[in-house]
Amino acid sequence: MTRDSHDVIVKTLARLLMPFMVVFALYVVMHGHHSPGGGFQGGVILAAGFVLLVISHGLEQTRKRMSEKVAEIISSIGVLIYGGIGVLCLILGGNYLDYGTLSKLLRVTPAEARSLGILGVEIGVALAVMAVMCTVFFAIFTAGESSQDDRSVK
Amino acid sequence: MTQFFVVLGVGMCVLVLLCLYRATYGPNVLNRAAGLSAIGTKTLIILLLMGVIYDRVDMFIDISMVYALLNFIGTVVLAKYLERTGEA
Amino acid sequence: MLVKDVICIFFMLAGFFFFTTATLGLLRLPDFYARLHATGKGDTLAVVLSLIGLAVYHGFSLTSAKIVFIAVFMFLAQPTATHAISRAAFRCGVQPWTCERGVLLEDDIAKQGGEK
Repeated sequence: MTRDSHDVIVKTLARLLMPFMVVFALYVVMHGHHSPGGGFQGGVILAAGFVLLVISHGLEQTRKRMSEKVAEIISSIGVLIYGGIGVLCLILGGNYLDYGTLSKLLRVTPAEARSLGILGVEIGVALAVMAVMCTVFFAIFTAGESSQDDRSVK
Repeated sequence: MTQFFVVLGVGMCVLVLLCLYRATYGPNVLNRAAGLSAIGTKTLIILLLMGVIYDRVDMFIDISMVYALLNFIGTVVLAKYLERTGEA
Repeated sequence: MLVKDVICIFFMLAGFFFFTTATLGLLRLPDFYARLHATGKGDTLAVVLSLIGLAVYHGFSLTSAKIVFIAVFMFLAQPTATHAISRAAFRCGVQPWTCERGVLLEDDIAKQGGEK
């Protein structure tokens, strides 16, 4: 009955807050070496932005931007980035996730290559965490609807 | 000045314990949610006070920003959930 | 003691006072809407005052700019959260506290006054 109630105050604040939230999440991902944060925390903040979007604008509006299928693809891409960088280090003759060997490929000093490698892994982790959190939230949010529909059919 | 911040932080902790009464024994879920929201607001200030006392505000400021964000989103999500299920 | 320390102590004590008031309201007021009214306004004002005090103490830097950003965010978000949860309570059918108990209290006070 009250499912389609759209609250104009929460809606306006979500519209106002969403860009700042995404920028802050990117800051947390990028700035993970110097301050608390990293891939996991940045991904959680990105997913919190989508949760706020679902709460304020409804599920249909959110599905236009991030559906379950897109979330699955993005989570696979995130894991692929993480594992791909690790295997790339193996191919270049180091250990798994040994970023120093990436310096041959990137043409920079090994220290800079370590920093860039960690950044790439963090981006992969952030994408995977965001997509999986969105999948979990969609599953929880739509569970009540389907069971209610089943009940009404029976 | 550090002593002032320590005393203020201890006072905040006492206030959090008082709010914990409402969050634990509140007559229904809505009262508990109000108590939790109040606790989150005070925790934000306690985090910043800890940062000032340990002289690492640049570390604690990011944590408290995330805490404020998640406290807001958690309260709004809880309100939406209670509104949908319709049980107080 | 510097001037900025005095300003910081003033703002922090004012924030602490409003935190105490909001907590007392949360504990003592009779029903849900009244409790939310206490925390919604009192906590917002207290957070903004405390954050301004900390920003003044920290001087002019990136950190104090972030503190001011948190203050602006809380100033917008805390009333919105309060509005959302009170709307949920209204839609769930929570009845506001009516005047009957207050009238009873007034009668008691009148009786005590009459006895005296």
